[in-house]
Amino acid sequence: MTTETTASVDSGSDAATDDDARKEKRYSFERHSPEYRENFLDTTREMQEQCPVAWSDTYGGHWVAASSDAVFELARCPYVSNDHDVRGQRKGYKGINVPTAERASGVRGGILEMDEPEHSFFRSILNPYLSPAAVKRWVPFIDKVVHACIDEKIESGRIDFVDDLANIVPAVLTLAMLGIPVEKWTIYNEPVHAAVYTPPDSPDAPRVAELHRQLGIDLITNLFEIRANPRPGLINAVANAAIDGGAPDDMELLGILSLVIGGGFDTTTALTAHALEWLSDNTDQRARLSVERDTLINPATEEFLRYFTPAAGDGRTIAEDCEVADTEFREGERLWLSWAMANRDPSLFPEPNTIDMERKGNRHFSSGLGVHRCIGSNVARTVFKRMLVAVFDRMPDYVCDPEGTVHYDSIGVIQGMRHLPATFAPGPRTHKPLADTLVELQQMVEDERLAEPLSIARKRESDAAPSD
Amino acid sequence: MLKVNVDGSRCQGHTICAMVAPESFELDEIDGHSTPVNAEVPPEHADEVREAVRSCPEQAISIIEE
Repeated sequence: MTTETTASVDSGSDAATDDDARKEKRYSFERHSPEYRENFLDTTREMQEQCPVAWSDTYGGHWVAASSDAVFELARCPYVSNDHDVRGQRKGYKGINVPTAERASGVRGGILEMDEPEHSFFRSILNPYLSPAAVKRWVPFIDKVVHACIDEKIESGRIDFVDDLANIVPAVLTLAMLGIPVEKWTIYNEPVHAAVYTPPDSPDAPRVAELHRQLGIDLITNLFEIRANPRPGLINAVANAAIDGGAPDDMELLGILSLVIGGGFDTTTALTAHALEWLSDNTDQRARLSVERDTLINPATEEFLRYFTPAAGDGRTIAEDCEVADTEFREGERLWLSWAMANRDPSLFPEPNTIDMERKGNRHFSSGLGVHRCIGSNVARTVFKRMLVAVFDRMPDYVCDPEGTVHYDSIGVIQGMRHLPATFAPGPRTHKPLADTLVELQQMVEDERLAEPLSIARKRESDAAPSD
Repeated sequence: MLKVNVDGSRCQGHTICAMVAPESFELDEIDGHSTPVNAEVPPEHADEVREAVRSCPEQAISIIEE
């Protein structure tokens, strides 16, 4: 390292020169603006060809990583921190939002804003509820919600895929996995989605904040109830956690549970809406995916994840001076890892701006990378696939209505949709109405103890099996 | 003969290898982390395993052609 000698003369102008040299590659990156959404392909190409790591003065000043190599290295770099030090007890790092979201500034965003060893401690508690084997047990539950949602609309020949399907299924499932009665899904659904697409200066912001407050009250009520009278689920998993011999602060637990809720709702909705919209425009591909679903649904899902990248990226803080991806970083500097841009890097994905449902070598970035890989990725994929095949079976000829389609104005956080109306040939109901189904599903959760972690479920199964 | 190894310290449980090569990788029930079913890959699964190597987001899978 030569920086020690060059930085040894303590003068402001030297420091400024050092900064200028390090930040030679600059790009004004405003990913919250509508222009970024409109010019995403150009921005991506320019940054990848000219930078691919650049300093941007926006949002208080931060680095942006735009290429697959740079994002790969930085996401897995030990000198990069996720910590959100909301009480100023450590180094004051700001977590994963760039800029820091006003609403989120007082509460840490769960395990996504923790470093080791705290992160792994909580993650290992949550994993047994969210592994591929654990999620598989929920498939009959998921199918019932999906078909009940479709039944509500099947006789009319009209559906809004966001409002009437893709918002409801992830919300109902996530609540059931948490251990919250599924009938409460409406308390949780709107504030979670609205918080993502409502800018802080919107006239609707106070209403959304109030809905969020009610959500918070219900969540903490459930936490206290479950601590007093345990019932299976993710809340129970964290309710009695002890770290370093002590109980974590309840606000910390609410942050973890809120992350599960936020991560479980809006991302899956966004993926489903975008895939359904694309399949409406590409009916030959839709027919093919439906017919060849047994072999094609897995690679197609990974390709939709790559192309639509529901969670656009993550913020980080540099925890130690380091040189990564040909860039000299200084401790304390902020960094944006763009999963969305890395996913369109032609050096890793041939024809990156084309959807190829059979794409090979699709090591996309949509679940993030490294130890913070999306813990709910198995849930998201399963819910998405069950919704997709049910739509193929029940409304195979659906046509989306571009006039009524509403995309989020900003794709800075979640690349989502507010509305995706469609028409289709009406069909008969096949299941119970949604309200009755929710009652039935609550019973199913309790009878089959679906919300138990897999470790306990397996032990119960082996205890119940006849021994010889 | 193709030999395969999953670096447990790099694997984060993305599960893509088991989708691409279901005969060759098994996932831990609790955290979804992957291990090879056999270190030695039968010839009929070699192409799938090579594809899994290319598809791993963490680049945690390595192969040796012997």
